[in-house]
Amino acid sequence: MNENENDFDVLRQFLKLKRQETPPPGYFNTFSDQVITRIRAGKLRVNADDYFSEAPWLLKFLHVFEFKPAFAGAFASALFLLLVFGMVYADRTDSSMQPVLQATDPSAGSFAAVAPAALAQPADSTGIIASTNPATSLQPVVSIFDSQNPLTQQVSFTVPGN
Amino acid sequence: MTMIMAEPAERTDQEPAADVPVVEMDLVRRAQRGDLKAYDELVQRYQERIYATVYHMTSNHEDANDLAQDSFIKAYQALKSFKGGSSFYTWLYRIAVNKTINFLKQRKNRTHMSLNDLDFNTENNPDLVALISEKTPRRDAGLKELQEKLNAALLKLSEPHRLVVVLHDVQGQSHEEIAEIMDCNIGTVRSRLFYARQQLQSLLADYLKST
Repeated sequence: MNENENDFDVLRQFLKLKRQETPPPGYFNTFSDQVITRIRAGKLRVNADDYFSEAPWLLKFLHVFEFKPAFAGAFASALFLLLVFGMVYADRTDSSMQPVLQATDPSAGSFAAVAPAALAQPADSTGIIASTNPATSLQPVVSIFDSQNPLTQQVSFTVPGN
Repeated sequence: MTMIMAEPAERTDQEPAADVPVVEMDLVRRAQRGDLKAYDELVQRYQERIYATVYHMTSNHEDANDLAQDSFIKAYQALKSFKGGSSFYTWLYRIAVNKTINFLKQRKNRTHMSLNDLDFNTENNPDLVALISEKTPRRDAGLKELQEKLNAALLKLSEPHRLVVVLHDVQGQSHEEIAEIMDCNIGTVRSRLFYARQQLQSLLADYLKST
């Protein structure tokens, strides 16, 4: 084997030259930082994977979006329609609930008696009803007390000088 | 990416000091408990050797960078399975070597060389001057060409043969260490080394002719 080693002396010298091939200066100063950063990032991803493993249906659901963008569009459209429907329905409910409240709430009568003037509106006027529904609040609506309030009288007078 | 020919590296870091295994095992245990500072120390301790092995196997800095980083990350992920049957260094080497061999199998048909011009100062290196002496075919070969020929020849070897040459002739590891890393017996290492050298000898015949 020693003879063979001698046969390869020049070759071995050549190969030793490869030791001198080193990366750019400063390369190893940041190498371990990069490794540790990637390990930390991997840990965060593993935590996210754990979350999805507890809810695999969610993962499948999101994968459908990932591989079939049309589903994502359809889902977004459905959400939008649901939102619009919710707003319209809430509007209807808000306005239709007022007579019901008036009819069923025993305090409604006393309330009307306490502040009739405040509630009374001219027949042809529009008023603003406060509502918790942002879609209907500040919307002019026809008064629900039209011509039914016995305490309201229409008056007619002339302004002097006209 | 420019590779720079530096002064020949001291090989003393290849032989761990007597107290190193104790400190190393302590670092490994701490890293097993999730201490990233301890693992950072382990990375710094072996980064150059792991990088060099991968680089000499791939002859490409970018690939070597990715593979070396991936090897350290995989080692961290598998650290709990490390029982200390071998040294951490050997265990880490095995991961890096397996990763590199798998990568090379996938890259079979792609032989990308990224070795660029050598640093000017190294042309004054006495070893190089002796090698590229007058009255030999080498005199016409620039350093870059010489290095490219050498790497091209290495890439023509099979992965196990290239690995043996890299670990033994380039990195100066013993037959025993290589046998442990490659999980084979010393006889196999010797025969692979002999065959690999023969192959290289014939591939580089023009450059190796003596005066």
